[in-house]
Amino acid sequence: MIEIPTHHKKVTDLHPEEGIAPGSALCAGCGGLEGIRLALKELGDNVHISNAAGCFTLLSIYPFTPFKGSWLYTTMAAPVPAAQGVRDALDIKRSQGKLAEEDDFQVMVVAGDGSSADMGLSPTSAAIHRNLDFIYFCYDNEAYGNTGFQLSGSSPYGSRTQTTPVTQAHPAGAERPKKDLFQIWKSQNPSYIATVSPREPIDLSNKFAKAKTLKGPRLFICLSPCPTGWGFDPKDTHTIAKLAVDTGIFPLKEYVDGQVVHTRVPRKRIPVEKYLEHQKRFRHLFEPTRQNDLIQKIQEDVDRYWEHSS
Amino acid sequence: MNSNLNKKRMLTGNKAAAWGARLAGIEYVPAFPITPQTEIVETLSQWFADDTLRGKLTNMDSEHSMFMAAGAAAATGVRVFTASSSQGILHGLESIYTVAGWRVPFVMVNVSRALATPITLEPDHNDVMATRDCGLIQLHAETCQEVLDFVLMGYKIAEHPLVSIPVLVNLDGFVLSFSREPVVIPDKKAALEFLPPIKPAQPVFRASKPMARASAVFGGGTYTYFRIQQDLAVRQAETVFNETAQEFAERFGRTYKPIEQFQMNDAEIAFVMSNSFATKGKSAVLKLRRQGIKAGLVKLCMFRPFPRKAMAQALSGCQKVAVIDQNLAPGMGGITYPEIVTALYGQKNRPGKILSVIGGLGGKDIREDDFLSIVEKLSDTESNMPLYLFDEGDWNQFQQLQKIALV
Amino acid sequence: MLRIRLHGRGGQGIKTASQILGTAAFLSGYQAQDFPLYGAERRGAPIIAFSRINSDPILERGPILLPDLLLIADETLLEDAQAAPLCGSDSETVVFVNSAKTPENLKEKFSLPSLPVTCKLTELCLKHLKNGMLRSTALAAAGVRLTGLIPFENLMESVEIELEAMGITGQPLKNNLELAQEIFEKLNPRTIKDREERPLSPTKLMIMEQRDVKDAAPFITATGNMAQRKTGNWRIHRPEIDYGECNHCMICYARCPEGVITMDTEGKPVIDYDHCKGCMICAQECPKHSIKTLWEMDHELEPQ
Repeated sequence: MIEIPTHHKKVTDLHPEEGIAPGSALCAGCGGLEGIRLALKELGDNVHISNAAGCFTLLSIYPFTPFKGSWLYTTMAAPVPAAQGVRDALDIKRSQGKLAEEDDFQVMVVAGDGSSADMGLSPTSAAIHRNLDFIYFCYDNEAYGNTGFQLSGSSPYGSRTQTTPVTQAHPAGAERPKKDLFQIWKSQNPSYIATVSPREPIDLSNKFAKAKTLKGPRLFICLSPCPTGWGFDPKDTHTIAKLAVDTGIFPLKEYVDGQVVHTRVPRKRIPVEKYLEHQKRFRHLFEPTRQNDLIQKIQEDVDRYWEHSS
Repeated sequence: MNSNLNKKRMLTGNKAAAWGARLAGIEYVPAFPITPQTEIVETLSQWFADDTLRGKLTNMDSEHSMFMAAGAAAATGVRVFTASSSQGILHGLESIYTVAGWRVPFVMVNVSRALATPITLEPDHNDVMATRDCGLIQLHAETCQEVLDFVLMGYKIAEHPLVSIPVLVNLDGFVLSFSREPVVIPDKKAALEFLPPIKPAQPVFRASKPMARASAVFGGGTYTYFRIQQDLAVRQAETVFNETAQEFAERFGRTYKPIEQFQMNDAEIAFVMSNSFATKGKSAVLKLRRQGIKAGLVKLCMFRPFPRKAMAQALSGCQKVAVIDQNLAPGMGGITYPEIVTALYGQKNRPGKILSVIGGLGGKDIREDDFLSIVEKLSDTESNMPLYLFDEGDWNQFQQLQKIALV
Repeated sequence: MLRIRLHGRGGQGIKTASQILGTAAFLSGYQAQDFPLYGAERRGAPIIAFSRINSDPILERGPILLPDLLLIADETLLEDAQAAPLCGSDSETVVFVNSAKTPENLKEKFSLPSLPVTCKLTELCLKHLKNGMLRSTALAAAGVRLTGLIPFENLMESVEIELEAMGITGQPLKNNLELAQEIFEKLNPRTIKDREERPLSPTKLMIMEQRDVKDAAPFITATGNMAQRKTGNWRIHRPEIDYGECNHCMICYARCPEGVITMDTEGKPVIDYDHCKGCMICAQECPKHSIKTLWEMDHELEPQ
């Protein structure tokens, strides 16, 4: 059994050092940025990040980097193979006695949901299969955000994206449910999987604290409310993130030792429309006429999830 | 030069590539199989598994992943080898461009095989030509010996502080990859003296010296600067190749140049070729000479950087030149042809006629008789079309097949 | 040729403003071109767009370096070294600034090359659109009027075309048309003269030397240097902590995506205004509501 460190109880317990310097070009109010900020507070600076093309590629724009650790921009599909190459090289040097203890680092991948669920999935599956020792941080804003918000495999049913416009023939916008990256990973039995929310810093930090003690493939799916793409005022990022958890549409959970545990179970789930109605990407479900059947379907999917998981 | 240092063995081109990597003391191989390259990674797998080689071979999931892992490991400071072919090169092309721009040294072998469509297993050079503009250094091998030597020399060039760029060594699928011939395997100690363990000229990833690498740039000026630097470094590789080849000749007794000239002293007609079919070209040259035709052959060993000056010198004064491309850019013709014409532009004694010949596509043979046809065509009137090496026999054979295919 | 450059911040509709201008000119029988400059910058960051209007075919592309008319979405951009809205302007350039200040006041405060034209667009947006955020229509209407080339009805039609393309119809569209009308009527056309053609002079091209690989490829070893980039200029709103009310719970610190709220030695939260992008999450999340939302522009608008 793994000992579970739970040293975070309140926000002042968060590690005081910031792993990311301010000044980046990311949107004001970016939920994903808050997620990785909290993650790096816990992981520290001894981290090597391989990055996939996406919003977060703009974190480091020559000649600037916000990181105290290392960063490598790769391609959209191959951040994980880059992490493999770096990890392998470190292991080789280590086995030759040519790597000083202080020169080793935690290998990490930072990628958006488009890369994680679509183009980069096959290499990721292969790396899990190889039991690569790495942490994968997916900032999930549920679309191709950096290109202006187009449908990704992670876009939820009923959401409007730039490539799933809402029309009379297509009243839902996106017509297929979101890919379940958690389940996809779980089928390969990695060391650790967690969903995290920027609105739940204690839960997030404790999960990273736990992941730090493990080896092998470890995934974090961070729901990343996106003011620009989801269509809400930047100040409401955390309101949206909280509603995602409270309505049950984004369950906070972790997978370790073959078990899925929900780390925050909403006592009484708020109707999911409270989450939807705040966002322009779901506006068509309510205006000009309320599409009860679609809202109902989304609610039923949430209800079914919780029925099956209890 | 003490010949006792060397041993000779019958090796395929693929085995020669693996031996080159072994003598280079490679530490890391990200691998993915593809015909006709697979024998290389199989051989290396065996050597890593039985401790002949120390380090790691990682079975990757695609060439795109493989080239990325190769670049990332090189950026972390180990000596990396990898190999691919054909569709694999195309699948990995994005990663090849990307890691070449990182300015990391490693050696990759391409075992040339034609590209789809139609899909085939047999050789031509369209795959390696697709990597022409990636920012790699390219050495093309005619013999199994050259394969081994170029891999060994490749590391020395790639890791040179003024270069720090991946080197691609090309050999023809089947014709060379599966052909055995005697190959001198340099002594391990001599190889180590020639190529000591890697000392990266560039900063590498290590936790005590963190850095960001390959970050996005905006504003064309910054992008242009890095691209010009890449161009200058690839160009510099010609000088570095010549220095390396000189040291190699002193140690091992085999001499290489970016351009090899065969019977060119008094040649009136020259064939320009590369890779394994150059051997057939040389044989044809000798036969043509016995028939009273003063032919010669120029072989491209180094394709990137393109040895413009050496090419111009080799062909100046020769009246007629036929550039034989075993590749085809539809709508344009042979891919090396315009590069050679460009090299000759402005030369005082440039050839009066330069013919583009397309042959050897998808494993199609180039026969010695074809060379006489080329000579005849060189005397013909002008034509805007390249000369396709496709004769009536080929046509009849194809018609037989099509009869079966179509109702 | 009339070269118009628009400066604003992401989210203010600068691109659309340039398109309303372009379409209005097109509808008026001119040759027109409009073009936004996309960089890495995101919502909130300074952005630029361009419109070119000419009687003859336009043989120019890309950014406008020497603007004839500058449309500046708010006065805070004037002191923003990154946005540098005055770059390339001279005494012939007509400068329009959305500001409550007098032209004399602005000219002196920001050492402008000429007396600017001002108008309280933010206030008008608040009046017509019930939102104090500057909108594309307002800046475009000001630009259209100042050119003196475009009849009123073509402005109206252009606003309709461009906003409908964005899905803005019905009452919101009507409000925008009323906004455009008021601005058109408030301002007077300016005479903008054609610039004299500058004779070409050769650039000083250089022969680049090959450099050491660490200088020749994109390496950044100065880790954490991103802080040198100040994003404080993104702010339209400014969070201000009322220390009398604040109970040091540090929720604001935990919630700030940029990590620009730190704890001082007394355990109080302190906002780094050099980098705060003004997302206003802190004000929204503060359990005691002790963080106020102020307008960054120093005019008389009420806090939201």
